[in-house]
Amino acid sequence: MSLRSKLNRLKPHLSIEQSTKNKIQQPPNENVIHVPYKEVWEKENVYPYFFDQNYCLIREISYPLSYQHGHYCFRDFLTAVKLWNQNENSHPLSAKGYNAEELFFFDTETTGLGGGVGNTIFILGYASLSNESIILRQHILPQPGAEVPLYQSFLEKINYKTLVTYNGKAFDWPQVKTRHTLIREHVPKLPAFGHFDLFHAARRLWKHKLERMKLSIVEKEVLGVERKDDIPGFLAPMIYFDFVESKRPDGMLGVLKHNEMDILSLITLYTHLTFQLCGVDQEQSRMEIYEVGRWYAAIGEKQQAKSVLKNIATGSDFTSCKAKLTLAYQYKNDHEWESAKQLFLEVADFGDEKMKVEAYVELAKIYEHKLKDLARAFEFCQRAIERVKHSNLKLTAIQSLEQLELRQKRIKRKLLKTSC
Amino acid sequence: MKYKKNLQDLLTEFKMNDDFNKNIVAWRTIPESPAKTVPLPENLHPLLKEALISRGIDQLYTHQETAYKTIMKGNSIVAVTPTASGKTLCYNLPIIQTILTDPGTRALYLFPTKALAQDQKSELNEFIEKAKFDINSYTYDGDTPANIRQRIRKAGHIVITNPDMLHSGILPHHTKWVSLFENLKYVVIDELHTYRGVFGSHVANVIRRLRRICQYYGSNPIFICTSATIANPLELAEKLTDKKMELVDNNGAPTGTKHFLFYNPPVVNKPLNIRRSATLEVRKIAGELLKNKIQTIVFARSRVRVEIILTYLQELVQHQLGTKSIMGYRGGYLPTERRKIEKGLRSGEIYGVVSTNALELGVDIGQLQVCIMSGYPGTIASAWQQAGRAGRRQGESLVIMVASSSPLDQYIIQNPDYFFNKSPETARIHPDNLIILIDHMKCAAYELPFKKGEKFGGLDTEDLLDYLTEERVLFQNGDKWYWMNDSFPAHNISLRSASQENVVIIDQTNVANVKVIGEMDRFSAMTLLHEEAIYLHQGKQFQVEKLDWEEKKAFVREVDVDYFTDANLAVQMKVLEIDRLQELDGAEIGYGDVCVRAMATIFKKIKFETHENIGSGPIHLPEEELHTNATWISLNNSLTELGNERLEQGLIGAAHALRAVAPLFVMTDPQDIHVTPQVKADHNEKPTIFFYDRYPGGVGLSERLYYGMAELFYATKKMIRQCQCEAGCPSCIGTDMKNDSAKNDALKIIDTFINQFSLTKGVEKCH
Repeated sequence: MSLRSKLNRLKPHLSIEQSTKNKIQQPPNENVIHVPYKEVWEKENVYPYFFDQNYCLIREISYPLSYQHGHYCFRDFLTAVKLWNQNENSHPLSAKGYNAEELFFFDTETTGLGGGVGNTIFILGYASLSNESIILRQHILPQPGAEVPLYQSFLEKINYKTLVTYNGKAFDWPQVKTRHTLIREHVPKLPAFGHFDLFHAARRLWKHKLERMKLSIVEKEVLGVERKDDIPGFLAPMIYFDFVESKRPDGMLGVLKHNEMDILSLITLYTHLTFQLCGVDQEQSRMEIYEVGRWYAAIGEKQQAKSVLKNIATGSDFTSCKAKLTLAYQYKNDHEWESAKQLFLEVADFGDEKMKVEAYVELAKIYEHKLKDLARAFEFCQRAIERVKHSNLKLTAIQSLEQLELRQKRIKRKLLKTSC
Repeated sequence: MKYKKNLQDLLTEFKMNDDFNKNIVAWRTIPESPAKTVPLPENLHPLLKEALISRGIDQLYTHQETAYKTIMKGNSIVAVTPTASGKTLCYNLPIIQTILTDPGTRALYLFPTKALAQDQKSELNEFIEKAKFDINSYTYDGDTPANIRQRIRKAGHIVITNPDMLHSGILPHHTKWVSLFENLKYVVIDELHTYRGVFGSHVANVIRRLRRICQYYGSNPIFICTSATIANPLELAEKLTDKKMELVDNNGAPTGTKHFLFYNPPVVNKPLNIRRSATLEVRKIAGELLKNKIQTIVFARSRVRVEIILTYLQELVQHQLGTKSIMGYRGGYLPTERRKIEKGLRSGEIYGVVSTNALELGVDIGQLQVCIMSGYPGTIASAWQQAGRAGRRQGESLVIMVASSSPLDQYIIQNPDYFFNKSPETARIHPDNLIILIDHMKCAAYELPFKKGEKFGGLDTEDLLDYLTEERVLFQNGDKWYWMNDSFPAHNISLRSASQENVVIIDQTNVANVKVIGEMDRFSAMTLLHEEAIYLHQGKQFQVEKLDWEEKKAFVREVDVDYFTDANLAVQMKVLEIDRLQELDGAEIGYGDVCVRAMATIFKKIKFETHENIGSGPIHLPEEELHTNATWISLNNSLTELGNERLEQGLIGAAHALRAVAPLFVMTDPQDIHVTPQVKADHNEKPTIFFYDRYPGGVGLSERLYYGMAELFYATKKMIRQCQCEAGCPSCIGTDMKNDSAKNDALKIIDTFINQFSLTKGVEKCH
């Protein structure tokens, strides 16, 4: 029996992935390099790039600096780079020492989700500043097997210091490396880049108000970007498979537009994040200021953290208390016990349940070890114990009833000793 | 003061004691054999030599030396080694030697389970650390923390993993493993004999993919396999790896005298042929041994059995020894817990261990004095593996196999010669099963595009690639085929399950903790997981409350009832193509492609002890279709003298018995091969018995039966004859009989076939 008839018989048992619905058959290309629908592509600023008996497509467009994308225009991006260069603080997103031209905003489109060798990148898109305008380029894989020209053209064009991506550290760039490895003998090496991944920044700043951190959501909720007739990202693979078979550009033009929007939003997002981090955004919310301060605190920029947090550690509202708490830890780290104590006391009075417990414990520690006021230490320990007993908070190890009681016992022992 | 007996005393006592003696069906004594050793190889790296000597190894067993020399010559090997014969040195010695002389060398170790991989890593790392070698060895599996994965990929000399991880975690990400694949010199496949059947067929394809990736990066590793005793280690290793292999089986490890006893519990109910429970007999025997502080291992066939026997034994000896001196050992225990037990056994602090077949594999627990098997483990190879756990290098040891009342157990126990004289089973794989092959072709295409003319495991690929292109999984551009799909194919393919679309079994006994307890192929699910069915899982009874056929989910709840359910399956067999046919004078044996259509009709509730029918109900499930391979045997004589009903009953009885014995001949799980009788087969209108592979497309099981039909029928006849029941019981032809002549009729039918084998030398026609 022929293999083919066997295969057809076994069809119900074979799990074949559902693929594109539209089945348009086209014979494969003839030997001369023919670029299907060349005229259609050219109308869209897409031109072929020939290399090694093969080709890929490159789309290039430029935007003036006055172009408004969301709440910012691209000229604001230059301001952002300038801000970092005038700034004294170090920060993972700081462009200090860079020219604006040295950043490139990068995003890919792939045929599948997740890492893995077979997940093919079919658009490599990026934008950067050049001669007073933003140049956006997209390198397009016309069909599998054309990756040598795709990466060759890409590697010829990119000469930058730092990538700016959205989740590119975990996804886009490793995938570029993977696909590049497969053709590494035919194309130049991948250069080393710095990398600003704005996904993590967005999560730090807006976790409190956004449930999901997809770029499209951040765009809409934070950056003021409106997309019209956007193709959802998850359809991109299907559209691409269809394009590979039919060669017709129409569907792909939508995917290119989608990729373009993602990249432009990266510029706006970087600008906005910079304005937040450098404190020049007039409309920054108190919560955002707090998150900025906390971020500086987390990376050890104490002075900057203090000066940011002081701005909002003024009242007795929730955000103020959170700011005070973070600020108190900064003073504690700097051994400024009096200032730390003062702030912890304020949190102990006005903070919420969780903050109160935290403040009591910290106060007990400071009074016991630093200020040597054992009676007050005992008192705060007692307060913490009472709170913990009657609450169902998630506690850290040090806040556990067991630990607290140990602490209290010890303080008591010391008290007795000194009183004798 | 009670006198403590040693093993010798007890053996004498067993011989004298009639109560015990009358149940012993066979007592074989296997003589001791001395160690055969040779000096350490001359050219061994001085550091390695020093490390071995400091561990007390100043000589090698003959098989270790042969393995070392063959591997250093650049040949792949399969070493067949009994339990505790120092097999790990067969591969660790050449590999460490090579890494010490060339630190760029990389090696990949494959173990069938994560637990074994962990064991190996601990053992290997202990050796490496003591010797202060600059060698990194790591396990890489689902539990490996993300932060050390990168280091393993770049700098691991020895990467220890399992086939599943290689399949879905390493090969699809090979670009992250460039330094491993570029320098891969050795691949170790331990416990080779476990790679058989569907699982082995999958793994063979994973290795095809591995070799394809190696070739891409310019390496061509040597394969080192180790296997327990099976009939065809060399063939299996070569088929699994597609490499020319050399067999190393000159075992030089010493063994002491071993007594092997077959113990059949006495019959307590003659008409129904019910024997005393094997579990209770095991308790008695093991208790006696343990009371005398004789180190004993008990093997049970399920986790639940382990727990039951364990509880019995701990109660029995708690006063003399304390419960801590007897431990259970099975999957599901934490690794630290298991390490503790292994150590206790080696040091002698623990006297007894009750285990599933988890301890069959190469976990180091030292050597115990006695091994008791509660039931036949299913294969000869496995029985010898378990028996290998008893046996010190000096002194005597004892192995007792206690039979349960299952037909297979009863056949084995009553035919000791079959067990002792027959070589262990042949392990079969069928890597070219189209379903499995296509699955792995997809994975392979995902990993690297296929080129025109490229072979996959020696097979031409073009037809398959064209098929996948038509199905829009691949895209052909020029002379290459590219993956063109948004899925990650390895995630949809499990190496361990029989077919893709399984029914998941969900236990909702505890509403707060609903959990998946197993899965079952669709075909079997029709009769075992229909609504109201009593489903047995590890000794517990569950009732199926809801079967969601669309979503492939069965919701069950634990129950305690005194009946089981038995569903009727109306099976239609359609022969699609006859590949082989032997025509005997009065019968024919055929092999080919078939379509099995099955529909579950009704089920019955049957009371445990009396086998009364206490209720029934309909099953509403759609018909299922299975395309597979089958072997069938048909009688030309339609036995009209029996009449239709008796013929049918006889065929059903014969099929029941054949189903129990057939797995013996093909070394497989009983579920993997199905037997169906037909009074009048559709394709030749003759009384026919079909044997078909459960896995779509077939994995070579029925094909093997095609060549072993006579042997199978002789064995089956013997089994029915030896059964002491009067008119059929679960131990022979089943209980589904409506008349008393069924046992005779079944025998008569089997005899009619057997007459054919002896009368004629068949003429085979090949199609």
